[in-house]
Amino acid sequence: MEEMKKIKKIKKFLSHLFIPKESNNHRAKILHHGNLLLTIVFLLLASFFIQTVKEKYSAVLGIRADISADQLLSLTNKERQSIGVGSLVLNDKLSAAAYAKAQDMFTYNYWAHNSPAGKTPWVFIKAAGYSYVYAGENLARGFTTAEDVVRAWMASPDHRANMLSSNYRDVGFAIQIGNLNGEETVLIVEELGNLNAPFARSIKTQEVQKVQGTQKVQGTQEVQEAKIPEEAPKDVVAVPKNIQAVHNKPFINVLALSSNIYFIFIVVFIFAFTLDMIIIRKKKVMRFVGHNVDHILYLLLVLILISIWGKGMII
Amino acid sequence: MLGKISGYIIYYMSLVVILSLSFVLAYSSTDRGFQVGVAAVTTFFYVLWGILHHLLNHDLDTKIVIEYVLIGAFGLTIIFFLLSASGNY
Repeated sequence: MEEMKKIKKIKKFLSHLFIPKESNNHRAKILHHGNLLLTIVFLLLASFFIQTVKEKYSAVLGIRADISADQLLSLTNKERQSIGVGSLVLNDKLSAAAYAKAQDMFTYNYWAHNSPAGKTPWVFIKAAGYSYVYAGENLARGFTTAEDVVRAWMASPDHRANMLSSNYRDVGFAIQIGNLNGEETVLIVEELGNLNAPFARSIKTQEVQKVQGTQKVQGTQEVQEAKIPEEAPKDVVAVPKNIQAVHNKPFINVLALSSNIYFIFIVVFIFAFTLDMIIIRKKKVMRFVGHNVDHILYLLLVLILISIWGKGMII
Repeated sequence: MLGKISGYIIYYMSLVVILSLSFVLAYSSTDRGFQVGVAAVTTFFYVLWGILHHLLNHDLDTKIVIEYVLIGAFGLTIIFFLLSASGNY
């Protein structure tokens, strides 16, 4: 009996919240101004709370990432083998170049192939002692698994071309957690290259550099005149072992938590606006409120954008 | 009646165009600052469009303006804080 009463109460509450009728002035209660404002305040407080806990207790609430150079290499080679292209080999110098590039991005707070000071990826590769004929770079950030990184690169024509190019034989990775624009993120730098001198002789008249813009860069590559190294450079940069993988497994993944909270709120509001619109049209009640279709369309756009932006990025 | 319906169609079509355009702009860029800017401008136009529509319909009310502003603030809050949480902003 008690339970029945409780269920009845819940039903009444939900009906008041979502169904426009006399008791809520013919507008779903959740869509009243006070409740909209309350929702915004709640989201703001929740976001600040999440950020604070993330900063102080990153083991409890943090960015989950499980990405290693071995996983990236294995997945990349699997893709290459599927189209009959030779496997890439992990190269310490390219890994050192990738590490230097990641450090530069964190230090100078940028996210691009070319640094604000004008440093191209080739500067890092050359500085690491890798005298390439062909070189390329793919960047990614904000991903949680190696599979997602490779999938994103494969879905982008230019990154895919870099990954699958038969011009490359070596690869180096740096996977690092750091702060960009004051926010913790996982950076993945992939430097590709080839020291193959004989092939370079056939193109030695060219000095082609395809650094494609600044913000819309989709993977970048360079072909350079052959410089046959007589011997391996002696100043090989040591690659710190911890740059080859990030295994960050906090108790709660902050991104999943935030995405789920926001997703639920948007879906609930889209549902409420749709239900409100349908019922009022049926009842033919006159009222002075905004157009629900406007709100639904706008919230759908927000939903699409957060589902895209909530994932990682590549350039 | 027919004029009213065509007016509705033009209004909603233009709203869809604005929203689609902002989606294309935001999606094609990898610059988070630009993306948040696009989201903010889109929200502004969404509020403006709603107000103009009600003004043309002669049913504009302060409550309606507040409703559009609140929905816009709700959308922007979500976008901004999700990007912060993802570490992609």
